[in-house]
Order: sequence, then C-alpha cells, then structure tokens
Amino acid sequence: MSCLTKNPAQRRYFRRFFVTMLLYVLFLVTAVLVFVHHHPTGPLAWLLAILPALAIIGQIAAFGLYLAEEKDEFQVAIGVQSMLWAIGGTLSVTVVWGFLEGFVHLRHLDLILVYPIYCALSGIAFGLLQLRYK
Amino acid sequence: MKNRLRVLRAERDWSQADLADRLEVSRQSVNAIETGKFDPSLPLAFKLARLFGTNIEGIFTDES
Repeated sequence: MSCLTKNPAQRRYFRRFFVTMLLYVLFLVTAVLVFVHHHPTGPLAWLLAILPALAIIGQIAAFGLYLAEEKDEFQVAIGVQSMLWAIGGTLSVTVVWGFLEGFVHLRHLDLILVYPIYCALSGIAFGLLQLRYK
Repeated sequence: MKNRLRVLRAERDWSQADLADRLEVSRQSVNAIETGKFDPSLPLAFKLARLFGTNIEGIFTDES
C-alpha cells in the first residue's frame, strides 16, 4: 500500500494503519479464544476485553500523527474536513438511533459499531472531497 | 481568491506537476489553489511569490 504514494507522511500513515489493523485482529482473536476456552475473570478479563480497543485507539492516534506530520497543507485540510464530516455524521446517526431505540424500540445499536460507522463515513467524505478538488 | 498562477506557470512552461514538485506539495494542491478552491497559508503564499520572483499581490488578488 505504501507504494501507492510518494508522500512520506502518507506512507508512514498507511504503515501505522496496517500495523494497528493487524494488532486489532490479533488482539480480537486472542480475546475471543481466551474468553471461550478459559473464562477469565477479574483484572485479566478487563485487560483482555480492552485489548482490541487499544488497537483502535492506536489507529486514531495514527491519523492524528499523520495530520501533524503532513507538510502539504491542502492534504491536511482534506483530512481534517473528512474527519469533521465523519464526526458530525456519526454523532447524527447515533443520536437519531438512540431516540428511535428509546421511543419506538428499534434494535439496540452496539457501541462497538460506532467506530466502524465513523470509518465508513470518513471514507465516503474523503472520496467526495477528492472528487470536489480533483 | 483570484490568482495568476496559471499565467505565471504558462510563462515558464511549467505543468501543475512541475510547480507541485518545486513547492513540495501534491499536484492536487496546486490545482485547488489555481482554481480558487483553496486559499494557501501565508508561508505557502510567500513560497509561491519567491518562486515566481514577485510579491504576494503579484499572484493573488483580494476580491473584496
């Protein structure tokens, strides 16, 4: 993936993104296997439960690092705009879903889905901004 | 903000990619500035002015 761009900051971001993604898969599989086979309790259970989340926090930090390291101010502007659209979209979707859950008993939205919703909206926003500034 | 980037580039026979390389930004950034969709920061505007041997007002025009 890093061969797709000459931009050093973007290459570093892609590398960090894939490392955190691999860690996420590794931590998730580990947590599931340990919980299924060993039924951990106490601090170990808490630690295992948050391991996949730590990888996702790492992914968010990787994007923050990219914005800090990117020398091309226009690319920073696109990154920030797509992030803001995605944050606004995620807040809108989840607050609407929350009221629907409360009033018309719509199926419960698991909090674990908030980050994938953010990622999907961020991808859509980034694509639309790329088209706008093509 | 209106600008004379296209004219200045043409005078030197530079493509958007040539200018982007000289500014160390993406071609997309040059296109966005040239078409007035993105206003550069002061440091980038000064860099452009130095590159074309003029001042900022020689490239950008305040529309207000």
